[in-house]
Amino acid sequence: MIEVRDLCKTFHDRKKGDISAVRNVSFQCAPGHVFGLLGRNGAGKTTTLRMLATILAPTSGTAVIDGLDVTEKPGEVRKRIGYLSGDTKLYDRLTGRELLEYFGELSGMTQASIEGRIAELQVTFHLGDFLDRRVGKMSTGMKQRLSLARVVLHDPPVLIFDEPTSGLDVMGAREVLRIVQELKAKGRTIIFSTHIMTEAERICDEIAIIEQGSILTQGSVLSLRNGNGGGSLEDVFVKTVQEVTSDA
Amino acid sequence: MTHRSWAVWRKELRDAMRDGRTIIAVLVVPLVLYPGLMLFMGSIEAANKKEESALRIRVGVVGEAQIPGLHGRMSALQGVSTVQLDKAPQSMELAGVDAVLVIPPTVAASVASGDSVKVELLYKDADHKSSAADERMQPILDDVRRALTVLWAQSRGAHADAPPAISVEHRDISSKEEVGRFTAALIIPYILVFMVAAGSMHIAIDATTGEKERSTLETLLSTSTSRSELVIGKCMAVITTALVAGTVGIFGLWFNFSVLANLMPGLASQSMQLSIRPEQALFLLLTVLPTAIFLGATLVAIGCFARSMREGQTYATYVYMASVFLGLGSFRQLGSPPLQRFAIPILNTALLQREILTDTVVPMHAAVTLGMSAAMAAIMLVIATRLFSNESVLFRT
Repeated sequence: MIEVRDLCKTFHDRKKGDISAVRNVSFQCAPGHVFGLLGRNGAGKTTTLRMLATILAPTSGTAVIDGLDVTEKPGEVRKRIGYLSGDTKLYDRLTGRELLEYFGELSGMTQASIEGRIAELQVTFHLGDFLDRRVGKMSTGMKQRLSLARVVLHDPPVLIFDEPTSGLDVMGAREVLRIVQELKAKGRTIIFSTHIMTEAERICDEIAIIEQGSILTQGSVLSLRNGNGGGSLEDVFVKTVQEVTSDA
Repeated sequence: MTHRSWAVWRKELRDAMRDGRTIIAVLVVPLVLYPGLMLFMGSIEAANKKEESALRIRVGVVGEAQIPGLHGRMSALQGVSTVQLDKAPQSMELAGVDAVLVIPPTVAASVASGDSVKVELLYKDADHKSSAADERMQPILDDVRRALTVLWAQSRGAHADAPPAISVEHRDISSKEEVGRFTAALIIPYILVFMVAAGSMHIAIDATTGEKERSTLETLLSTSTSRSELVIGKCMAVITTALVAGTVGIFGLWFNFSVLANLMPGLASQSMQLSIRPEQALFLLLTVLPTAIFLGATLVAIGCFARSMREGQTYATYVYMASVFLGLGSFRQLGSPPLQRFAIPILNTALLQREILTDTVVPMHAAVTLGMSAAMAAIMLVIATRLFSNESVLFRT
């Protein structure tokens, strides 16, 4: 379960002064659900997700993940999450197996459980013989599958995906979405940010449209479409964002 | 050190050992390049000396007839030809000579009357051949001095045709081992500082700024490993490579000077015995440890602060240069340094290592060096951890 309450983040820039990147963002996501964060580049998706992953500390507000407050118990929260960003890279000079072993150790897993889990994920994520190849020699799709395996290695109940299909071809993106749906079916709580409407429509149970750090609207795909005259999600998104930008 | 820090340490070392740049900095450079270059410089010096002894020198002489027997003695000098001159030339180059011996025209009369006289050998220290002429002419100058003394004695009525040659000379009675120990005390502290700084530089920046540049930092920060565990693991990896580089550097020096030089006859004359006793080697490594921690933590802190590899490497180069200059400071230190010098990081280690190698360790110097280095290392570790925990530093653009 994820519960985000009035989350705010302000960055200080020496030239520009205070920049409000996230403003009073609140939402909830239950286990077995995918919550989509839909927004343009720079809308505040990544900053929000980084706060949920405890990489950044909120300026105000908080989030409770699996019963733990991100501002009070960041270390414990990190044990319960898996975080993947689309522009996240891996260590090119390690093999896939070494990489998974490394992150298993960083997650506090025992050697035996790491080995067992790698064997399991090798099948689930179709890692095959690639696992013993150096990451630098792998294709983009293979690296993304390895990244996903890394995220779920310690079997976290909460998964945070920040534009995980970024830079992938159609087949690669499709594979990622398949895996996310499988994880959802297994009861994981998933936050999924994207700016690709079709992806959001396909896998998200609920969607929030974020612009200039604020959530403009949120609800199920169907309710959002119905509330905006039955157009496509893209129409809903454009209309919602334009209302704000034209006001500004 | 937690289990997770060890995991970071293992990963960073594995990663570094697969990076050609680290291998070059930690193994190839200390083991081959620098000792090889020093040996090469030695062989060039030997070749220069050989070439110098074969040089044909032309010396101009003004007033040769003033000194009886001078012409004969100069003619007997190997590799030297003489040219009679009326007076000292304006330009030695135009006169076609490498040096000029100037004997005043009234030298005999002056000596006879008890006046002081001055015989000069004009040469140019900045000119290689002219400088060699000065060296070659030293026996002739001794002869001139003796001949004038004889003239003076004869003017006083003494029978002194051929006084015995009285030689007052310098003779270096250092054994090869002693020369080796002195040289070791001079260069090893500097080389160690140099190797430790060079060995830790690349991996420190790669393990920190490299995480930012490769976009692997977020992944790392989202694991349940604490920031301090990550920093300690990274620092340990940097320290390990620094120590390996230092140890390999000592081995490289010993191997090149004591083994390789003796195997190559052309370089044998340049060889010396860089003998380091096992306990000295152990103490050297012990002194390197706090310096390696200090340098490692400093470079990791810089890596945390830098936005890009280029920026990190630029800052690291400044640290590297500062280290090298501080190491060089031990070159200039003669005798027992004042206590406050042992409070300066890096320089103190180099000075203490010198005392270790010459068996002149002052316990207070060792205590101040190790105490200060450990304190500075701890401070830098805290700074590195704070920087690694500071999101405005880690994610600054």
